[in-house]
Amino acid sequence: MTRSVAMRYALRSLRRNLRRSLVSVVGVALGVGIGLVALSWIRGEETMTINAAAGGGVGHLRIAPEGWLDRREDALRLEGWEALLQDVRAIEGVAVATPRSRVGGLLGLGTRSTHVTLTGVDAATEQLALRYVQEVTDGRYLEPDERGVVVLGRTHARRLGAELDDELVVTTVDADGEMQSQLLIVVGIVQTGSRDVDATIAHVALADVALLSGRAGAAEITILADDVYDRAALQERIAPLVSSPNKLLTWLQVSPELAMGLESDGAFLDMAVAIVLLVVLLGVASAQLTGVLQRRKEFAVLAAIGMRGASLVRIVLIEGVALGVLSACAALAWTAPLVWRLDDVGVDLGSVMASEDEGWALGGVLFDPIFHPDFGPWMFPMALLLAMIATVTASLYPAWFAARTDPANALRVDR
Amino acid sequence: MSDETNEALVRVSEVTRVFKTGKLEVHALRGLTLDVVEGDFLALVGPSGSGKTTLLNLVGALDRPTSGGLVVLGRDLTAMSKAERAKLRLGSLGFVFQAYNLVPVLTAAENVEFVLELQGVGAKARRARALEVLDELGLGDLADRRPNELSGGQQQRVAVARAVAARPKLVLADEPTANLDSENAEQLMAMMRRLHESHGVTFVFSTHDPRVVAHATRVVTLVDGRVASDVAKERDAA
Repeated sequence: MTRSVAMRYALRSLRRNLRRSLVSVVGVALGVGIGLVALSWIRGEETMTINAAAGGGVGHLRIAPEGWLDRREDALRLEGWEALLQDVRAIEGVAVATPRSRVGGLLGLGTRSTHVTLTGVDAATEQLALRYVQEVTDGRYLEPDERGVVVLGRTHARRLGAELDDELVVTTVDADGEMQSQLLIVVGIVQTGSRDVDATIAHVALADVALLSGRAGAAEITILADDVYDRAALQERIAPLVSSPNKLLTWLQVSPELAMGLESDGAFLDMAVAIVLLVVLLGVASAQLTGVLQRRKEFAVLAAIGMRGASLVRIVLIEGVALGVLSACAALAWTAPLVWRLDDVGVDLGSVMASEDEGWALGGVLFDPIFHPDFGPWMFPMALLLAMIATVTASLYPAWFAARTDPANALRVDR
Repeated sequence: MSDETNEALVRVSEVTRVFKTGKLEVHALRGLTLDVVEGDFLALVGPSGSGKTTLLNLVGALDRPTSGGLVVLGRDLTAMSKAERAKLRLGSLGFVFQAYNLVPVLTAAENVEFVLELQGVGAKARRARALEVLDELGLGDLADRRPNELSGGQQQRVAVARAVAARPKLVLADEPTANLDSENAEQLMAMMRRLHESHGVTFVFSTHDPRVVAHATRVVTLVDGRVASDVAKERDAA
C-alpha cells in the first residue's frame, strides 16, 4: 500500500464511487479499444502495402537517374551502374539489389500484336526481387546471360494467342530514332491473379533492352531490405554511395499513389480515433467533474487545513491516471485477443470487396486479399498512452475547478 | 479587551466584511476591532448572523476583509497571496469545524496524518505523531477506523486531533459542539481545555451553548458585526 495519504485518498475516492468509476473505465476502455483496433488495422495495412510494393517491383529503396521521379522516362540511364550495383550489394542489410531497364515496343505474333513495355532484368536476381515471377505458371524463368527469350504475363500471352516456344517479334524505336526488331522466344508465362499486373510483365535480358532501345546500362537499381523495419537505417547506409546524377528514392517516392492511399486511410482512421477519444474524454470529464462537485466540501476542508491548489490538482490527476491505467488494462483485455486472432487467421477482404479477377491490384502492385491487422507489443504502451490522453486530459478541467475551491464559501454554503 | 502581558496573536482593526449577492449587500462585520492574545481560551458568542463565522474565517486566513487591518501571528493577511495564506494555515493554524468534516475515505489516523504529510513530515514520523495525538485524546484504539465507524463525539475529537497534530499556535473552532449531545460536548471542551493548559495552545471558538462558554477564559460577544462586549472571566469548574 502506498505511504502517501494523498495517494490513498485519491485511489479510495475512485473506489468510493465504484459505479461511476467503473462506467468511466468501461467507456475509456471501449474508446481506447476502438483506437487500438483502428491502429492495428492501419499498421497492418501499412505493412501489407510496403510488402506488396516491395515485392511487386517497387522495392524498399530504388536508385534512379535524377529527373526520373518527375518524368518517369524509360530512356534515362544510371551513371556507373555496375560499380554502384556491386557496392550496394555489399551493404549490410541489403537482401537483394537488382538492375532493370525498360523500352516500349510492339510485340507481334502472326497477325496479332500488342503494345508492351519490355523490362530488361538481371535473371540471377530478378526472381528474388519480384514475387510475381518467383513462380512461373507455364515454362520457366530467364536464365542468366540468356538472350532472345521472353517471359510474358498471361494478359499479353492471351492477346497474342502466344504459347511456350512461340517466336514473337518485337519492334522498337531506338535512341537514334531507328526502328529495331528482334525475335523473342516465349520461355515462360506468368499468371499472378491480376490482369493488370500480368500486363506489366514482359521480361527479357538487360542486354536485349540495351539493343532494342539503343541505350546501354540500367535505368534503376531496386533494393529490398532484409528487415522491412530497418529500411530507414538502410537508406542512411546506402545514401553515401549515391551521388548526382543518380538519386536514391524510397518506395513512397516511387509509388506515390500507394503512399497517398495509405496516408488518406491513416488520416481517416486517425480522425475517427480522435473523435471517439474526444467523446470518451468528454464523458470522463463529466464524470470527474461530478466527482469533484460532490467532494467540494472535502476539497474545501483540505484547502482550509492548508492544502495548496497544486496539491488538489495532483489528487484529481492521480485519479485520472489511475482511471487511465485501469482503462488501458480493460481495453487490452478485449482488444488484444481480438487483434491477435485477426492477425493470426487474417481477414478475407476479398469477400467484402469484389474484384473483377482473382487479384487486387493498385498502382501496378498486387495485394493479398487476406488482410492481417498488426498485433504486437506496441499495443501495450499505445493503450496506456491513449487511455492517459483521455483520462488525464479529462481530469484537467475538474482539477482546475478543484484548485479554485474557495474554502470559506464552500464551507459556508454547506453548513 | 486583551491581556497586555501577553503578545497579540491576532490583531483585528476596524475590519468590515461585505458580501455581495447581486445587488444585495450583506454587512457581516462592521468595523470590528479585537485582539487575541497568546494563551486565550476565547469564546465568540452572539446571535446567528452576528459575524462569528465570518470573523473566524478571516482570522483563519480563509477569507479577506473588505476593509480594515488584520494581522495574524505577525503576518498582515490583507497583503498575502492565496498561496501564502495556505502556507500560514498549514503551518500555524488549526481548524475544527461544526460538522467534523473528516475525509470519509481515510481512517482516523490518516486524517490526522494528512496535515503532517502536507507539511512534508516523513511517513514514519507523521504516523507516530498521529498515533500520539490520538492516544492523548483517548482515540488510540480507534486509529484505524473510518469516520463512518465513529460516533459524532469521536469524530469531533479526531477533528481536534487533526487540528493540533502539527502543533499550531492558534486553533479556530466554529461551533465545535453544535452537533454533539451534552455529554460529548462536555468531553470535547474538557479535552480542548487540557490541550490549552498542557500545551499552551490558544483556542478561539464560536458557540451558542452556555455550557461551552463556561469553559472559556474570555468571552467576546458579537452583535451586528461588532464587538458588543469582551469579558475576561474565571473558568467554571470542569
